[in-house]
Amino acid sequence: MSARAFTTRRFAFSAGHRYHVAQWSADENTRAFGRLTVPHGHNYTLDVTVRGPIDPRTGMVIDLGELKRIVQATVIERFDHADLNADELFRERVPTTENIALAVWELLAPALGPDRLARVRVWEDPTLFVDYDGR
Amino acid sequence: MARRVELTRVYHFSAAHCLANPGLGAADNAALYGPCARPHGHNYYLEVTVAGVPDPLTGFAVDLERLDRTVTCSLLDQVDHHRLEDAPVLAGVITTGEGLARAFWQTLRDALPAGELQQVVVQETAKNRFEYRGEEA
Repeated sequence: MSARAFTTRRFAFSAGHRYHVAQWSADENTRAFGRLTVPHGHNYTLDVTVRGPIDPRTGMVIDLGELKRIVQATVIERFDHADLNADELFRERVPTTENIALAVWELLAPALGPDRLARVRVWEDPTLFVDYDGR
Repeated sequence: MARRVELTRVYHFSAAHCLANPGLGAADNAALYGPCARPHGHNYYLEVTVAGVPDPLTGFAVDLERLDRTVTCSLLDQVDHHRLEDAPVLAGVITTGEGLARAFWQTLRDALPAGELQQVVVQETAKNRFEYRGEEA
């Protein structure tokens, strides 16, 4: 039986970053990224969606307290008030919103199970978000 | 493995409109659309979702400046602080939320690289949201 129920919980973290490709000169970086090469930060919002059957005993897809503990321990404690460029997850890639969504998936999928994790949505600000669903 | 993400950008415009089927008379339009047949306006939100694979060097799946420029030049400039009925991209469109979402989809699908556009959402008010994802193949 395929599970068709989805539960989403919202989280927040504030983090610093800059866009910078190490192999490029300062001029090339400025050409590609403009002011985004300067260290700055965002109040990120993270929506984590979990799929699964509704447990007949609890009536839940997932215990939201459990989801909160997992996301807190694997993502929020790591990224909140952190310099994303200093995180090894971004040693080989620029911490764009796209790559942050992929990194959050990489942290959460092993903790929740890729069959349970349905989607991560990372909001850089209220006008921009990126979704990744593991495909 | 190429991992595909979807990026959504939220835009805003304010515009006037009134709902009318040009094939009907004033009384029939008033009966069909009620208060929406009278000239009025909304603070609209437009969500544009595009798909792409993050570039291994830049980390960008989409050129956001290009997306913003495309949406602004092909749509927002025509509708922001305008009457929707006057916008060339909405010629012949009954400007319901559904009608706007479909017309904006068609304009953006043609203006963006093939296959990039995934969804257009028109949020007319905090209570009314219209999603359009294209025609069935």
